[in-house]
Amino acid sequence: VSTRALADVRILDFMWVMAGPAATRMLADYGAQVVRVESTRHIDTARTLAPFHAATPGPENSGVFQNLNAGKRMLTLDLRTPEGYGVALDLVRWADVVTESFAPGRMRALRLDYETLRRVNPRLVMVSTCLMGQTGPRAGFAGYGNLAAAISGFSNLGGWPDRAPAGPFSAYTDYVSPRFLALAILAALEHRRQTGEGQYVDCSQAECSLHFLGPALLDYTVNGRVAGRVGNRDRDAVPHGVFPAAGEDQWVAIAVETDAHWRGLCAVLERPELTRDPRFASAEARRTNESALETLVAAATAPRDRHALAAELQARGVPAYAVQNSPDLVRDPQLLARGHFHQLDHPTYGAAPVEGSRFVLSRTPAVIEGPAPTYGAANEYVLRDVLGYDDEHITALVASGALT
Amino acid sequence: MLEPYRVLDLTNERGLLCGQLLGDLGADVIQVEPPGGSRARRLGPFAGDVPHPDRSLYWWAYTRNKRSLTLDVGRPAGRDLLMQLARTAHFVIESEDPGALARHGLGYDDLAAVNPALVYVSITPFGQSGPRAGWAASDLVLWAAGGPLVLTGDSDRPPVRLPIPQAYLHAAADAAVAALIAHHERAGSGRGQHVDVSAQQSVALATQSYILCDAVGHPPVRRSAGGLKNGPLHLRLLFPARDGHVAITFLFGSAIGPFSRRLMEWICEEGGCDAATRDKDWIAYTEALLSGAEPLAEFERVKQVVEDFTRARTKAELLEAALARGLLIAPVAAIDEVLASPQLAARDYWQDLPHPELGRSVRYPGAFARFAASPIRPGRRPPTVGEHSDEILRDALGLDDAARARLRAEGIT
Repeated sequence: VSTRALADVRILDFMWVMAGPAATRMLADYGAQVVRVESTRHIDTARTLAPFHAATPGPENSGVFQNLNAGKRMLTLDLRTPEGYGVALDLVRWADVVTESFAPGRMRALRLDYETLRRVNPRLVMVSTCLMGQTGPRAGFAGYGNLAAAISGFSNLGGWPDRAPAGPFSAYTDYVSPRFLALAILAALEHRRQTGEGQYVDCSQAECSLHFLGPALLDYTVNGRVAGRVGNRDRDAVPHGVFPAAGEDQWVAIAVETDAHWRGLCAVLERPELTRDPRFASAEARRTNESALETLVAAATAPRDRHALAAELQARGVPAYAVQNSPDLVRDPQLLARGHFHQLDHPTYGAAPVEGSRFVLSRTPAVIEGPAPTYGAANEYVLRDVLGYDDEHITALVASGALT
Repeated sequence: MLEPYRVLDLTNERGLLCGQLLGDLGADVIQVEPPGGSRARRLGPFAGDVPHPDRSLYWWAYTRNKRSLTLDVGRPAGRDLLMQLARTAHFVIESEDPGALARHGLGYDDLAAVNPALVYVSITPFGQSGPRAGWAASDLVLWAAGGPLVLTGDSDRPPVRLPIPQAYLHAAADAAVAALIAHHERAGSGRGQHVDVSAQQSVALATQSYILCDAVGHPPVRRSAGGLKNGPLHLRLLFPARDGHVAITFLFGSAIGPFSRRLMEWICEEGGCDAATRDKDWIAYTEALLSGAEPLAEFERVKQVVEDFTRARTKAELLEAALARGLLIAPVAAIDEVLASPQLAARDYWQDLPHPELGRSVRYPGAFARFAASPIRPGRRPPTVGEHSDEILRDALGLDDAARARLRAEGIT
């Protein structure tokens, strides 16, 4: 009998777009009952983001939305109607945790702020997340993770010293912060288990994500040094970079951390004479002649197959991997062996491909209970099975127009 | 929140953040290091640029709220001490290659035999299983293997990573979540389990689901500096400012399109474009470009209009306008600008921890979340090598002065 680690955790989730839903997806994988409220009028931005099924934009076609919301129950609800507000309060009574990621102040405007909700459910844990936090002069600065990545220092660091910043990809902090959000939820639940006390938690996407820049922040506060763009060069490994491989725009990543790695690289590239070249005899020498070294390595890797080259380097213990895009990733033998990809039954496509949990719990493994519901598909379940509403009540709600 | 619990943290640079997060939440985290100190202490930069095990800023960044115990677990006496600690510990975190600790008799099965309630967390590049579980890895290699690397960089140069290593941080943060999921379950069952975290899988989250392109039937996207190439569309999210750069969510569709319309309204107001440019259908703009109704060259012109506009203004001017007008614009901040942020100052984010051995305090990132009832308190500074060995051996293991002196003399601690 498979057990669900978080089977007793009920989450009423008002979060949307990417960071928040990625956090509750982690918890849903391990059995948390997640009821997500969404609006069909104020569409979830994630529904407008690529990749799309058959490359066709549409609110039910987004692979992002499906990937982040698998295993959740979703309820379409207009919170501004009295009927919709009543349903929301019933869900607050049901929930252990309420989560939200609107701009600060929005929940208060909807009369769904913590002070209101704790009167409905005194043991409630409520977690808010937004770009800059709920307080302070920039609390009202709302937007997406690409903006938080810029304002918290990530975007400036990615790229080449002679070029404008290239940044990390897209809304990067949306993909750093979900772990901190999930951790905050679990920690607050642990505190409640010990003390009986619920509480409010304010998780700023910028503040939690800054932990991923710790060494650079300390290099400034301790040494006064402002980190800059350095391409793919590394403090310690040399050569260290992304080198061309056979095919159009194909690459292999190689990190030479030791002299043994260097000898392995020379052997695999069939340039054994380089191991005797004084310009490259030690890490220090390779650092001094790094540009020339990179040119030599690139010339040698360019005709090679990226996967075969990485495998040959790995056979000699040299850290290397093909730089993988989606066609490589969905066929990657390691990701496949780890069960990283799942095909969920989907009413429109037959199968909705999603990623699985990024970790394995040996005794209580992840289970994805179903695809992200299409608009309204889970309404009946939430109203009848979660809230216990009868036919009459549900019919009245439908007639009120609140389920939109 | 985690004050009742003890963590034995055996990790190296791959996993240090996990224990620090549990320590932030109140757990008693014992960082177990080999005599001479963890190899993570050899990672720079260093305080004052002086390489020394107690001056690694990488170490400082990820070992706050931990106590250091040096222990040679490769020798029987050291292993026995670790087993004694494991009997009463609640979590063990490790990041050795798969099977390495089991060869020392310290694998999950070994420790679970003496403490079935233990949550044992393993953080590795590719996970404990699979044909490439034994492959060598590094930050760059994992960024390539898991998918984010290919999406980033100038289109005429190789894909490029962030120079501040990220991959193992994604894995270690996932590990902290996984540890608390297992802990939550243990509160009911009384039983522990083995948590197996793959950094390759963790970093795949940063592909923004583009990892799934091939599976859903969307052509793979390609890198374009500060943006991406999605088929024929070259989307751009970073623009120059007079004094640096800004990020703009210059995208379209029913959710983001209205923001792009407001941006174009402002540009038009200031004379940066004509009314016809302003009045394009920014909701359906992607579809217009894909169908050919709007020429791709016209999109190139529009991006140039935006660039000419932002280039003439400072980051601060653009941010103020974003706040006043509801635009999706943010300054691209350098590290010194992040430290000078009035928002972070107003929220009292930074924490200054005394380093008595240096005769000064050091400014660190603050609480990752604000818990109203159980706030994360400023913690202890990162430990020097073996700083707490004596007190841990005395208090946690009850060893008397003579026994501790013998262990020191034998080089076990």
